[in-house]
Amino acid sequence: MSTTSTGIRVAEVGGIEDGEALKVPAETTGHSDAIAVFHDGGAYYALDDTCSHGQASLSEGWIEDGEVECPMHSARFCLESGQPQCMPAIAPVRAHRVEVREGEIWLHIGPDDGAVG
Amino acid sequence: MHRHDTDGTGPAAPGRANSARGGPATASAPSLPGSPRPARAPEPAVDVGAYLDLDQGLVDRTILSDPALYRQELRRVFAPSWLFLAHESQFGKPGDFFTTYMGEDPVIVAMGRDRKLRAFLNACRHRGMRVCRADAGAAKAFTCSYHGWSYDMAGKLVNVPNGADYPAHFDREEWGLTEVAQLDTYKGLVFATWDPGAPPLVDALGGMTWYMDAMLDRDPEGTEVVGGVHKWVLEGNWKLAAEQFASDWYHVNISHASALMVMSPSGKGPKAEIVQTHGRQYSDPLGHGAGFPTHPKSRFDDRVVHGHYDYEALRERLGDARVEGPMTTGHATVFPNFSYLPVNGSIRVWHPKGPDRMEVWAWTVVDRSMPEEVRNAQRLYNLRTFGPTGIFEQDDGENWSECQATTHGFMAGSMALNYQMGMGLQAEDGVHPGTTGHLYSDGAARGFYARWRDLMNTPAWHEKDTP
Repeated sequence: MSTTSTGIRVAEVGGIEDGEALKVPAETTGHSDAIAVFHDGGAYYALDDTCSHGQASLSEGWIEDGEVECPMHSARFCLESGQPQCMPAIAPVRAHRVEVREGEIWLHIGPDDGAVG
Repeated sequence: MHRHDTDGTGPAAPGRANSARGGPATASAPSLPGSPRPARAPEPAVDVGAYLDLDQGLVDRTILSDPALYRQELRRVFAPSWLFLAHESQFGKPGDFFTTYMGEDPVIVAMGRDRKLRAFLNACRHRGMRVCRADAGAAKAFTCSYHGWSYDMAGKLVNVPNGADYPAHFDREEWGLTEVAQLDTYKGLVFATWDPGAPPLVDALGGMTWYMDAMLDRDPEGTEVVGGVHKWVLEGNWKLAAEQFASDWYHVNISHASALMVMSPSGKGPKAEIVQTHGRQYSDPLGHGAGFPTHPKSRFDDRVVHGHYDYEALRERLGDARVEGPMTTGHATVFPNFSYLPVNGSIRVWHPKGPDRMEVWAWTVVDRSMPEEVRNAQRLYNLRTFGPTGIFEQDDGENWSECQATTHGFMAGSMALNYQMGMGLQAEDGVHPGTTGHLYSDGAARGFYARWRDLMNTPAWHEKDTP
């Protein structure tokens, strides 16, 4: 991984299998939480790794149809916005922007307000 | 919001009464492993010697129907014995799990991140609900759907919702899923026991392994199961099935007459040499048993499966005695409730569900190196004969249910049953290891019930005072 002014390179395309996620530690990003970078059917997304309900790691969750399901209590979050889709979660997790550039996956830390467009 | 500890000031917490931690003395009701609280004090044990006179070949039918004896079986036969759980091939990657029962106890068998197989009581330590309600699958955690206590694949309690409301002395480390005391495999078969003092699995199987290898060791690559697990409910005590698979060839020509007619190539019935077959029956001192016709030209019944095998190679691998004996169309039970049919490729468990009912869980096992068309032929042959609608299985289930149906009559239910066949004919024959008798014999049934009696009359580890 490397950090530049244009983001953090986290993996090469192909380095995260479809339906899997890469957990980027907080030390790497300087962000307050680890960040999970998800691969769902050719698209990449990034959310704060810690579920807003419990202490579970969303990078361990089940990734399907643009959502991640928490492995602990089955709350689901939109991979794009971080918004909770069902109980028991009621708060969003912060979303971050992911860019695929020249065969590499780059992470851009999102703004504090959670969702990124 | 501020937190305050009530540890030591509030009423005694029932979940913490553990002798090792200074709780109430538990000499009369020692703790089960993994449980921080005393086990329920068992009801007085019944001496079952009065129900069995095996020297005379007599078994009182009460042992099939009495609810108190049934509860004693769960404590003294099932809890301390090595019980079959699953086949290793059901677990390919970390997270794979399968749920089954040990006696009436629900258990999860799971492969951890370290690829190690473990088995746990499928009961949340909070309110006891099953934490996994699927038959099988892949999981990253087992989360109780009642309050959300969550356990990882090693059984550790990793998340408790509203954890801040628990007292300071609440330690998640103490509240993991209850793990079996020992888990081990024998040539692909996964067994476990709750008894920490039980002998190693291979010792518990004893001399039976020589006979089991006729099914499990034909292929250097081993065995695997194909398809899922067939499960069906039968009215009937579990021992009726376990005993028959250990010991009963006697019923074949009568109970399965119509099936033998249908299966005969001519349609006019089997050849005399099949009806009047010779054979041997093995009786193991640990309660296991196996019966098998002996024939110089052992062969698999299904044409495609028969064509697959190189019988000369099998003779070299397993020896003539096994190819001409246990590898034929035999039957077997590993005490207490695991049975198999080598030629059909059926392995099954008789799960007890009260004195009057059992659940049959049956797998089809094949050799790993079998090509697709051969394993398919074996699977279909097994289903045709001993699947839930199999033409032989149907006959057996009807017999067991009919035997059970009248056990609650006072006169009919407390009479002595005859297990005298083959008495005085048990011997070492110099060909098959251990004690064998004629194919038509109750010898292995007497051995099965002798082992059952000994366990029933011996306090199990959980009844003994802990040092």
